[in-house]
Amino acid sequence: MRYQNATAYRFLAPYLLIFSIFWLWPIISSFLISFQATRTVPWRFAPTFNWGRLIGDPAFFNALKNTLLILVIQVPVMITLAIVMAVLLNSPLLKARGLFRFAFFAPVVVGEVAYSAVFRLMFNLDYGIINKLLNSVGLPRIDWFSNVTPAMGVIMIAVTWRWAGYNAIILLAGLQSIPQDVYEAATLDRVSKFKQFFYITLPLLKPIIVFCAVLSIIGTMQLFTEPFLITERGGPGGGTETLGLLLYRQGFRSLNFGYASAIAYTMAGLAIAISLVQLWLTRDPK
Amino acid sequence: MAAVRLKNVVKRFGGFQIIHGANIEVDDGEFVVFVGPSGCGKSTLLRMIAGLEDISGGEIAIGGKVVNDVEPADRGIAMVFQSYALYPHMSVEQNLSFGLRMNGNPKADTERRVNRAAEILRIAELMKRRPRQLSGGQRQRVAIGRAIVREPQVFLFDEPLSNLDAELRVQMRVEISRLHKELGVTMIYVTHDQTEAMTLADRIVVLNAGNIEQIGAPLDLYDDPANRFVAGFVGSPKMNFMAAKVVGNDGGAVTVELANHCGAKLRKPLSGAPPAVGSEVVLGVRPEHFFEAGEGDCDIAIKADVAEHLGSVSYVYASAGASAGASAGPNPGQEELIIEREASRQRANGDHMVVSIKAGRSLLFDKSGARIR
Ligand SMILES: Nc1ncnc2c1ncn2[C@@H]1O[C@H](COP(=O)(O)OP(=O)(O)OP(=O)(O)O)[C@@H](O)[C@H]1O
Ligand SMILES: [Mg+2]
Repeated sequence: MRYQNATAYRFLAPYLLIFSIFWLWPIISSFLISFQATRTVPWRFAPTFNWGRLIGDPAFFNALKNTLLILVIQVPVMITLAIVMAVLLNSPLLKARGLFRFAFFAPVVVGEVAYSAVFRLMFNLDYGIINKLLNSVGLPRIDWFSNVTPAMGVIMIAVTWRWAGYNAIILLAGLQSIPQDVYEAATLDRVSKFKQFFYITLPLLKPIIVFCAVLSIIGTMQLFTEPFLITERGGPGGGTETLGLLLYRQGFRSLNFGYASAIAYTMAGLAIAISLVQLWLTRDPK
Repeated sequence: MAAVRLKNVVKRFGGFQIIHGANIEVDDGEFVVFVGPSGCGKSTLLRMIAGLEDISGGEIAIGGKVVNDVEPADRGIAMVFQSYALYPHMSVEQNLSFGLRMNGNPKADTERRVNRAAEILRIAELMKRRPRQLSGGQRQRVAIGRAIVREPQVFLFDEPLSNLDAELRVQMRVEISRLHKELGVTMIYVTHDQTEAMTLADRIVVLNAGNIEQIGAPLDLYDDPANRFVAGFVGSPKMNFMAAKVVGNDGGAVTVELANHCGAKLRKPLSGAPPAVGSEVVLGVRPEHFFEAGEGDCDIAIKADVAEHLGSVSYVYASAGASAGASAGPNPGQEELIIEREASRQRANGDHMVVSIKAGRSLLFDKSGARIR
C-alpha cells in the first residue's frame, strides 16, 4: 500500500513540481512581498507600507468602486440573459441547435485583442455602427469613450457579449439534466409553461445558476482586458479603471510590486468573500 | 369515473407508424392492463390517452367525450410514471398539493385531499421529506398519491413497479389492487411483465409491434390464446412449441407427428377447418401440461439437461430425447422443452424420462402463428 502511494506521487511529481514553481511559490511570494516596501533597494519589511497606503488610496477606492459597479450590474444582467438563452436553446421548437450553440460559445474563443478592436470600432463616435443606428432611429449619437457612464456601459456590454453564451451553455447542460417527465407531470397537473419555469425549472437550475454567478464574480473581480483595450487603460481619466488595471499599473508600469501584491490579495479576498456570501444566501434550506 | 374508448387509433413518429389502428373499449371501473414486449407501443398508447402524445389517426374518448383535442389536464386522467417524476425540490406534501395550489384550489379542500391520499397510501409520516430521502417503494407511493389527489376519472400507470425489487413489486401490486377496489375507478396499467398483467387485470390487452394480438380476461388468454404470440407471452415459464407435421385427417381430428421426437404421433380433435395433410404446424404445450408416461395421448422421451428446484415444483429443461439424426427440421434437435414436475430431489442432469401430452391440453398453430382450433 505504502509503495503504491509512493508510485502515485512519483507520477504526480512533474505536475507538483511545476505547480510549486509557477503557482504555489508566486502565491506565497506575493503574500510576503505585500508586506515589504518595494520602492527602495533593498526591499525591507514594512507591514503598513502597502496595506496602510491601500486603505487611504483614492485610486484604489475608485478602482474598487468601478469593479463593484460592473459586478452588481453586469453579472445579474448577464446571468438572466444566459438563462433566457439557455431556455431558448433547449426549446424543441428550435431549428439548427448546433449552429446556435456554436455561435453562443464563439465569443469565448475569439482573440481578446481582435474583439476589443471590433468593439472600439462599433462604438466609434463618427463611424461606429452603434451611433449610426442611434441616428437612424432619430436619437442623438453618443460619445462613448469620452464620458464615464457610457464608457462603463460599453465595458458591461462587451463583457456580457463575451461571456453570456458561455454561461448559457453551462446552464443548458443543467436544463437538459432535468427529466422531461417532471414537466409532463406538471402539464397533467395543469401548470402552465410559464409557471413551470418559475416553480420547476428555476429551483432545479439553482445550483448551476449559483455556480455561474460565482464564476462570473471571480471573473469580473479580475476584469482587465476590456478596460485596458476598449476604454484605453481605464479611460476616460480613470473612470473605468478596475482593480485588475490598477494592479497592472502599479506592478508593471511603476514596478511597485509590494503594493501590486497587496491589491492582488485584496481582489482575491473580495472574490472569495462575495462568493461565500452568494453561496450562503442561496443555500438550500434544510 | 369513466369508460375509455379507442377507435382505430394510429400513431406515427415522423414517417414511422408505431400503432396500427388500435380498438380498445375499457369499461367504467375496469382494470385493464396493456402488456407486450419492449418497444411494442404500450407507453405510446397510454401517453396518447393522457394527451402527452398527439393522435395521428382515429379517436380516443373518455367518459363518452372525444378528447383528441382536449388538453391533458382537462381529460380527467392522472398518470403515474415509471420514473415516478416527483418534483425533486419539493417535500412530499408539496408534491401532492402542487397541482391544486397552482390552480387556486381552496386551501381546506387541498388539505383534505392530500390527507386522504396520505391516509390511503400510509405515507402520512413522510410528508415533510424530499423525494431523495425516500426509498423506491415510498417514492412510488407518493407518485400514486399525487394521482389520487387529482381525483381523476381514469388512472394511467406506466410500468410503475419496474424500478422496484421483486419483493416490493409483489407488495405494491397488492396495494394497487386494493386501491382499485377502494376507489372503484377505471385504471389502465402498462407493463411488460405478464405476471403483473395476469394478477392485476380484469382484462388484458396483448400488444405486439403496434398491433393488438388479443383482448381478454387473464384466464381466457391463458386457456384460449388467439395465436402463437399470445400463447407464448401469457404464462410463466413460457409455453413449449414443438415442430410438427400433419400426417392424417380422419374428419374432426388430425394426427400430427412431432418432428423432433422420433415421430411421436398425437391425434388432435378440431372444431374448425383442419389443415391439409402434409402441412407443417406447431404444437404448443405448457410446462405444467406434461403428464406422467401413459397418462396422456402421446408419450415422448426426453433427456433432462438442467433441473431447477423452486421448492413447490421443479422445472426440467430438456432436449428432445434420443432423436439423433431423426429429423432435419429448421433446427434439428435444438428444440428445448421446459417441463414442470412435482418437486423432487431425484431429478438430475442427464436423466432420461418419458412424459405424456394430452390432446386437450395442447394447442395447434399454423406456420404463420395463427391458432388452428
Ligand atoms: N418520440 C419518439 N420518436 C420516435 N419514435 C418513438 C418515440 N417514442 C417512441 N418511439 C418508438 O415507438 C415504439 C414504441 O415505443 P414505446 O415507448 O411506446 O414502447 P413500450 O411498449 O412502452 O416499450 P417499453 O416496454 O420498453 O417501455 C418504439 O419503437 C420507439 O422506438
Ligand atoms: Mg414504455
